[in-house]
Amino acid sequence: MLQVDDLVVRYGSAVALDGVGLHVGRGEMVALVGPNGAGKSTLVNALSGVVRPAGGTIRIDGRLAHVPEGRQLFADLSVEDNLRLGAWRSRNRDPRRIYEVMPVLGEMRRKAAGSLSGGQQQMVAVGRALMADPDVIAIDELSLGLAPIVVADLARHLAQLNSERGMAILLIEQNARLAFDLCQRAYVIESGRIVAEGDSGELSRSPEVARAYLGGITGSDTETLLERTAE
Amino acid sequence: MSSFIAYLVSGIAIGCTYALVASGFVMIHRVTRVVNFAQGTFAVVGGMATASLLRHGLPHGLAEVVALASAAALGLLIGVVAIGKPGTPPLSSVIITLGLAIGAYAGEVMIFGDQPLSFTMAHGSTSFLGAHVDRQLFVIMGVTVVSYALLQLFFGRTYVGKALTACSSNPYAARLSGINPSRMGLLAFAIGGALGGLAGVLITPIQPVSFDSDSLLAVNGFAAAIFGGLMHPSTALLGALVLGVSESMIGGYVGASYEIEVALVLMLAIMVWRAARTPVMAEEVA
Amino acid sequence: MTGRLTSARLVGAGAAAVVAVVTALLPLFLDSSQLTVYTELLLSAVVTTGVSLLLGYAGQISLGHGGFYAAGAYTAALMATHGMPSLLGLACAPLVAGLLGLLVGMPLLRLRGHYLAFATLAFQLILLAVIGQQSSMGGDIGLSGIPALGIGSRHISDFRGYAWVAWLALVAVMILTRNIVRSRPGRGLRALATSEMAASSSGVPVGRYKLVVFSLSAAFAGLAGGIFAFFIAYVAPGSFGVLVSFQFVVMAVVGGLGTLWGPLVGAATITLLLQWLNDLGARPGMPDYAPQVFSYAVYALLLVLVVLFLPRGLVPAGTDALRLLARRRLARAQPGADAAGAADATGAGVEEPVPSPQRQ
Repeated sequence: MLQVDDLVVRYGSAVALDGVGLHVGRGEMVALVGPNGAGKSTLVNALSGVVRPAGGTIRIDGRLAHVPEGRQLFADLSVEDNLRLGAWRSRNRDPRRIYEVMPVLGEMRRKAAGSLSGGQQQMVAVGRALMADPDVIAIDELSLGLAPIVVADLARHLAQLNSERGMAILLIEQNARLAFDLCQRAYVIESGRIVAEGDSGELSRSPEVARAYLGGITGSDTETLLERTAE
Repeated sequence: MSSFIAYLVSGIAIGCTYALVASGFVMIHRVTRVVNFAQGTFAVVGGMATASLLRHGLPHGLAEVVALASAAALGLLIGVVAIGKPGTPPLSSVIITLGLAIGAYAGEVMIFGDQPLSFTMAHGSTSFLGAHVDRQLFVIMGVTVVSYALLQLFFGRTYVGKALTACSSNPYAARLSGINPSRMGLLAFAIGGALGGLAGVLITPIQPVSFDSDSLLAVNGFAAAIFGGLMHPSTALLGALVLGVSESMIGGYVGASYEIEVALVLMLAIMVWRAARTPVMAEEVA
Repeated sequence: MTGRLTSARLVGAGAAAVVAVVTALLPLFLDSSQLTVYTELLLSAVVTTGVSLLLGYAGQISLGHGGFYAAGAYTAALMATHGMPSLLGLACAPLVAGLLGLLVGMPLLRLRGHYLAFATLAFQLILLAVIGQQSSMGGDIGLSGIPALGIGSRHISDFRGYAWVAWLALVAVMILTRNIVRSRPGRGLRALATSEMAASSSGVPVGRYKLVVFSLSAAFAGLAGGIFAFFIAYVAPGSFGVLVSFQFVVMAVVGGLGTLWGPLVGAATITLLLQWLNDLGARPGMPDYAPQVFSYAVYALLLVLVVLFLPRGLVPAGTDALRLLARRRLARAQPGADAAGAADATGAGVEEPVPSPQRQ
């Protein structure tokens, strides 16, 4: 579905991505975790064509949609207009198909996007990306600045989209626990390089990853975040 | 009383032409963050082209439409040079539009000559509340109202209009949705050109226009546009009417020679007043 | 490294001396129409030095320097036609223009970027309109019969004398600018051009610096205007139109903002090019609007091309090319010196200009 090989991105003389490779299969949910400044956002920006790579290849079978970090809505426009503009390149500009999946968006479709809460805005941002009928969706910092209960709700929507429509999801997260809980596979990126990859469960049991990203507690020791917040 | 009415109507009409120039400024600035110094040029081209085409025997209607199309095409051209090269910073684009405004003089002198041109659109005057008022003034007001209504519909109802707003509100997100902000910027330049051209077409019958009439039209339009911080066409309209009426009143009661000074001092005062309320940080980030 | 740097400085000082001597001797070999071009070129360079200081170092754009030029010219003209010593008139021209700059700058320098550009343009339009309405200032017709510049009974009787006066003014203005830029406040100024916020948070008194530079650049324009008034012996609002202000900005940008030699190079490039086109346009067979059209087209083309393709201007582009050439020659002479040369080219730019159009 999405195949990235040996990707290099430079900003002037600084190397932001240094030979990154990753793969997301059809209907897969994959996480990319790493600290601030590791190159996560640069990678998604390269995938969506905002940043021009200096080397390497990106292959996307079908359409990729990008939910940017910090929501980035059109604040003056209504929720419905925001959604409709997500379909700029496609023929189907009817947002009703999004309201079916996320009924809450239908309820507030006349409100200005800028007036919504952070969680609602993130919902609109995901909805806008879905309007392009993507085959793979890359979500940059889904959980940043949002309450855990809101994140859990968003995560449920994503899991549903993934299982019902077979949409591939690349989740870029600083919150490694959420990422490992939600995704089957994960990559760990540091200073522009992939330093670890594999099954989420195995990764979260690895001592180094646990120390760096999970506060020293390995994944198997605790119940998952989803279960906790769902209560 | 009748002279007051006459000054008022004339002020509103002049204000309407400023409003059209101002809405062009706003249109281009909203989408591209560029203040287009060539905004007065569009009015000059619109007015002079209409006059010239009428002299060459084109009928009314067709001459105006061709002139508007030329102004829009010129807007597009200026946009291509000013923002077409990727990575041109907005202030560089501003300087480029200044250069092109001077360059346009060359073309205007070659095509239309260096003398002021005028033409008649609506003949004669009519009695309005006891005052003699040129019919042209009503034409100006009517066309401006219709244009503003059309703009409102365009931004409020059409998909492309919404996309322009989207580019203004968040160019990065617009790109992610597949909208090309540069192309939208060019569209804004073309519409801005047409709006400026319209102002020229309307004002030339009451004030002959020559190639260097652009700076005064641009300064008045800019003064109106900054009422709304260069972002809101409706506040720009209000500003333009205030400007037009105060100029007309001062011209009528104090002396015509002070019109320009008053308008300019008013503009400076508004700018300084607005700047005092806006922190440095907000402007540097924007 | 220091040895290389001092030698580079020496070369620079030597080149400056050669240019100074050649330009000082040049009037001896020019006829009267060439002397007119020479004098107007140097006067433009004086104003442009101020505009470039303001735009390149303080990051503030002015489209109103034609107004300060006019203020200087009218000060000198009014004083001289009222029987005051001409030298006093010349001395007052920069003072009055500088003071006007201070008064205008106080409210207007709160504005930034394109707002400041429009505000200074408006200032000039107001000034010209006011002058045009004062019969005591000659109104729209202007003031004529301005006596020649001189001390006591001795007067400058030919164009050559004014050419040297303009030369002296330019040298004075350039030396002053150089000293300001190299001083401690000068370094603060450069910080100001990159980011006002950063400069102000590192303790640079932003408002005062901007005002001082604005007033100083207005005084430069006033000085040039004063000389211009005596040289032409006639001043009228029509000589100081908006296009004059644009022209100074074009010269500053074309020459290279924030460089010492940029204004002279910009003024020379544009004046000479215009002169050449003017001659071309005045040839028989050319339409009578040709000179006018050519001059507009040149301003436009040069400004647009330089902003797009040489955003730092001619002087930095030229010195970069020279450095590159020198480095290549050095590398060929002694392999291995290339790395040092490269470091020199990027790090040791003595007068690294600030890319002020980047800021908005």
